[in-house]
Amino acid sequence: MTKSSSQTSPDGTHHLVVDLPCGKKSLIRARSKLVKFATDHGFADEAEDIALAAQEALKNIIQHACPADNNMHLECTADHDTISVEISDIGTGFDVGEVIDTPVPALANHGRGIPLIKGLMDTVTIVSEQEGTVVRMEKKRRA
Amino acid sequence: MEIEVEEKEGYHIVSPVGELDIYTVPLFRKVVLKLEGDRRHDLILDLTRVTFIDSSGLGSLIEIFQKVQSVEGEIAYVVDNPRILKIFKLVDLDKVFPVFPNLGRALQDVGVTGGYVDEEFFSDLT
Repeated sequence: MTKSSSQTSPDGTHHLVVDLPCGKKSLIRARSKLVKFATDHGFADEAEDIALAAQEALKNIIQHACPADNNMHLECTADHDTISVEISDIGTGFDVGEVIDTPVPALANHGRGIPLIKGLMDTVTIVSEQEGTVVRMEKKRRA
Repeated sequence: MEIEVEEKEGYHIVSPVGELDIYTVPLFRKVVLKLEGDRRHDLILDLTRVTFIDSSGLGSLIEIFQKVQSVEGEIAYVVDNPRILKIFKLVDLDKVFPVFPNLGRALQDVGVTGGYVDEEFFSDLT
């Protein structure tokens, strides 16, 4: 079952936390929640990029990580000029170095998720260990 | 998702309508890869009514491109949505796929001209 909460801190920072079952049906839910959250908090122009980047990260969990608790955790924070998204799981990790800087040929059969995330967001960091993976990405508000 | 298929002088013009993503790719693949006829590998993929594409959608376009190339068919893509074009550019597909801004240009490129008018071209003459 999808669980989500949204709140605003005293410093004016907005937060969205969503826990999603690890499955394809969760992708559309995550995307619509992120588009609404980003749009509501002043990032309408960036909303589609953020939602697609998050969808790609979540899809990687579904296809590769298989978390034992069947959960995908998503946190989104929006302040005045930056929106950040953190997606984590406790599934099987991977060798980040092997995938993050390896060029993917245009006609490769797979492997376009991370290049898309990197292209859509301003900064992307991925930490992956045996116990799980955290993908953190940020996008600045367009001038 | 709806998928419209039209035949024009042997070319199949396939127009998916809506989102081309992990949910809809199975239907899109099924429709395109099961086209029939001698020239089923001569294709124009009209993506002007695609509102969203993800890496699964891109993967399906690549699979079709490779299949068409392997049998020496012809393929063209019509993309006028800046968001879809942006996604193509992020993964360099704009450098590999023959991409046209409207159906008229794509048909012109593959040599099908009957009944289609490139309005942009003629607008310069009026």
